[in-house]
Amino acid sequence: MTTYVTSTVRFPYKRSLGPVIGHFMTELTHQRLVGIRSGERVIVPPLEWDPDTAQALAPDFVEVGPAGTVRSWTWVAQPSAQHPLDRPFAFALIELDGASTALLHAVDAGDIAAMATGMRVAPRWRAERVGHLTDIEAFVPGEQPVAPAGDTGPAAEPVTMMNYDASITYTTPVPATQQLVLRAAAEGRLTGLRCPTCGRVYSGAYTGLQNACPVCALPLGTEHAVDLPETGTITNYTIITPVQYPGQTETEPFARVHVLLDDVDSVMAYQPVVDLPNADVRPGVRVRAVWTTGEEGRQELAGWTPTGEPDLDDPSIVNRIF
Amino acid sequence: MSAGPCAIVGIGQTDHKTRRWDVSLGGLVREAATRALEDAQLTWADIDAVVLGKAPDLFEGVMKPELYLTDALGAAGKPMFRVHTAGSVGGTTGIVASHLVEAGIHRNVLAVAYQKQSEGNAQFALGSGKGASLGAGGAFAPYMRSYIQQTGAPADIGPMVAVKDRLNALKNPYAHLRLADISIEKVKASPMMWEPVRYLESCPSSDGACAVVFTDEEGGRAAASDGRPPAWVLASAVRSEPASFPGRDPVWSQGAADCAADVYRAAGLTRPREQIDCAELYVPFSWYEPMWLEAHDLADRGEGWKMVERGDTALDGAFPVNMSGGVLSSNPIGASGLLRFAEAALQVRGMAGEHQVDGAKVALAQAYGASAQYFSMWVVAGSLDAVG
Amino acid sequence: MTQPAARQPVAIVGWARTPMLRRTDKTEAHLLFDVVTGATEDAGITRADVDFSCAGSCDYVAGQAFSFVQNIDAVGAWPPKRDSHVEMDGAWALYEAWVRLQLGDIDVAIAMGSGRSSTADPATIYPMEMDPYYLAPLGADALTFAALQARVLLDAGLVTERQLAEVAARTRGDARTNPYAQVSGEYDVDALLEEEYVRAPLRRHDLAPITDGAAAVVIARGDRARELTDHPVWITGFAHSAEAHQPGVRDLRTSASARRAAKAAGADTAPIEVAELQTAFTHEEPLLAAALGLGPEVALNPSGGPLAANPVMATGLIRVIEAAQQIRDHGTQRALAHATSGPCLQQNLVAVLEGDR
Repeated sequence: MTTYVTSTVRFPYKRSLGPVIGHFMTELTHQRLVGIRSGERVIVPPLEWDPDTAQALAPDFVEVGPAGTVRSWTWVAQPSAQHPLDRPFAFALIELDGASTALLHAVDAGDIAAMATGMRVAPRWRAERVGHLTDIEAFVPGEQPVAPAGDTGPAAEPVTMMNYDASITYTTPVPATQQLVLRAAAEGRLTGLRCPTCGRVYSGAYTGLQNACPVCALPLGTEHAVDLPETGTITNYTIITPVQYPGQTETEPFARVHVLLDDVDSVMAYQPVVDLPNADVRPGVRVRAVWTTGEEGRQELAGWTPTGEPDLDDPSIVNRIF
Repeated sequence: MSAGPCAIVGIGQTDHKTRRWDVSLGGLVREAATRALEDAQLTWADIDAVVLGKAPDLFEGVMKPELYLTDALGAAGKPMFRVHTAGSVGGTTGIVASHLVEAGIHRNVLAVAYQKQSEGNAQFALGSGKGASLGAGGAFAPYMRSYIQQTGAPADIGPMVAVKDRLNALKNPYAHLRLADISIEKVKASPMMWEPVRYLESCPSSDGACAVVFTDEEGGRAAASDGRPPAWVLASAVRSEPASFPGRDPVWSQGAADCAADVYRAAGLTRPREQIDCAELYVPFSWYEPMWLEAHDLADRGEGWKMVERGDTALDGAFPVNMSGGVLSSNPIGASGLLRFAEAALQVRGMAGEHQVDGAKVALAQAYGASAQYFSMWVVAGSLDAVG
Repeated sequence: MTQPAARQPVAIVGWARTPMLRRTDKTEAHLLFDVVTGATEDAGITRADVDFSCAGSCDYVAGQAFSFVQNIDAVGAWPPKRDSHVEMDGAWALYEAWVRLQLGDIDVAIAMGSGRSSTADPATIYPMEMDPYYLAPLGADALTFAALQARVLLDAGLVTERQLAEVAARTRGDARTNPYAQVSGEYDVDALLEEEYVRAPLRRHDLAPITDGAAAVVIARGDRARELTDHPVWITGFAHSAEAHQPGVRDLRTSASARRAAKAAGADTAPIEVAELQTAFTHEEPLLAAALGLGPEVALNPSGGPLAANPVMATGLIRVIEAAQQIRDHGTQRALAHATSGPCLQQNLVAVLEGDR
């Protein structure tokens, strides 16, 4: 039975706008829409280079609109979290008066029956404008822009940056091999996969269990599972000074070690350590797996801890990162 | 080979900085591309195809950016291509562009590589948003430890490379880091980031772009007649190997050796260390300079650090490496590979200004990616018959 | 610009696809293992015989930076291989592989495409490939742009909603004989037209399914191709072209870049019998048929096309496979395969395939 793991990729990006887009966004805070001239055309929203000739465009801005004509539209019956409105609305390509090209934006028409190609629309401005396309809450049917109540006015300084916060949630199937390893781990056992062709044994790494033999180009399945010894030798390591970023969990320098397992020529890479001070981490240290008990008695590999045996004296093991 | 020669007639790069907040994403690539076209004395209309390269899109949060960048790169009406081979991507970008010319498919090809890391966070992107990210340095620190311990290299070698590259960068008007007061003591006193690698032994995070204009033999000769000497691509090669399997050599890797053997053979080089005048190698952490010298057969095993110690790899040494300041001085990740390739080309064109190696005729460039498993290399020369 | 005739004749000599599933429980790497094994076996070679590999995949579809790195295991990169990757559909990976073979020093290449679209809501992913200042912040996704283009065609009288439903019914009907179709069946056009709009004027039947899948194609130069197969499928034309990004700047009634790509690929120098088009939306079929100069005599998407199975990042490569299959197995002499990327068909690729005479 397939199980799934969910992860969300999300980051608050901060974009610099450059002079042309920056000017457009600044003008939005003034409740003005501008395009940029290119030859006979007025391009809206203003681009930095002519889309046909690639020539850089001089900063020859032209005020357009505020009203415009819908050139095409579609109805969004079930808005997503990224859409500008949370009730059904239209996306439309709007040719603002004076523009040669169409701007994409939302039309808050209320009902699909109110939408038609050729209809006239005008912007409904947001009260607090920051220099972002959503300073226009949406366009509305009609000729007259809708000014907001409680207008906080234009930006005090020219707008040069914008924020973009995108979030995507992925639900990915957990491979059967990974499930087997997790089940074994929950019982306090380490499991690897042995390639039937070359005999190499693959164990856990920073990125998770490697479930293929890349040398033989062979996917490995649960039938290739082997128990792994729980003792081994540190071959190599690093101590990482954490940097802050959204999602960071560490605050103090932490060790990650490579462990060459006993009897099985396999290395577990970038493993945490337990009760081993950073200063005492070195190649040759003999270690064993440490398990902690979590919810419902499930075991979890916490890391590796010294066995107390003398170090293994073999300088060549430092190359066993894999 | 039935392919025709390929000449590099235009090179451009941005002023690399931590934050290029004066430009949009398009503005960043445009700056490099415009400079390359000016160098080539070509217009946008002269370009027949565009190849774009960059490292993961999670860095900027723009997926498939070649779509939005079509206008900035003058690619409307033309074929536009986007390669992504991790850190080696800049190299691959140049190589794919050169192939389009060598195969006679297009005459003038623009290659552009970039990264605008300031819009996101490199550590976040490298770890796909998960906690306890190793970062790029954490992943490679064990590899560097292996080299140091197995060769017995003195601890100062890494700091020596860090100092050399930053002093070279002072002679490169585009370089990001300008550390005029750098010294071995300062490097050794800087914070430990990924033991044994210290802060000043590591690359910066840069916003930047690089652009190269490729043309065919006729175009190259025309540029030469016009007093604008081209660089000729003598050979290029790529190799990928798996990230991990028991027994994989992380330092003297098979992929590094095979890629080098391939490009040297194709370029007619039988004694690469002697026949190559200088090299731009992807060194994001100081120890990778002696490591790449050995892995790519420019030094015998255990001898790479001695080249550093002797000063061979300094700008005025017997085998200058990273005359531009290298990745240690500017690292817009997706562009760094193309910057290596472009800087090698600048050398053999005699256009490297203050960081020019006198009389450089044959230059090597290399880029690598992911778990030191993707390799791209090329050999460029001031003339097609430069290798005697 | 029209490309000169390629110096090196290159033929497709084998291929493989995974089953096309709404949701696979295999990793993307495992899907690629299957198709690389399948394609090399189909070509009668082993992984060791492959001189160059190129994969097409996308980090944002996979949900992870550097996602293609674990996929390299599927190629058999030991000993290390000449290998590359594009953050584009596998059809463009095939293009890079084809270009590489033009250099004449190596003989055999493999191109791959893979993607598991089931893992995330496309409405949250695809806005990220739009202009970061003017489009992405509105959450403007591929479905929105497709619908806007469909309305332009309807308003211009170039298509009717009935025609779109007919495309939906015809392709899903044809797909019944395709073991690699995910969605197939007999549909009544009038019944389809009774359905609600999903993104007016597009209804559910106008949209491609969400599909997990992968594909691989083996190509070889001239003599080597003839050694490997008695039925090489020659790539006699291969070109791609892009347009301005902003749909609001373009004439959405046509696809200028598709037209240019077809011309550069020499599509119109002889009759095309079959065309496999990367049409994830029904309205794109009549639009592209017109732009590519394909008349009513041309069989369009006899496989069912993306409307029957749409593994994003492999869909374009599968068009090449389906067209090649028509030539190798069903007596077609000349076929066209098309791939696309970006909002409202911003970028288009055309391959012209021919069998031996």
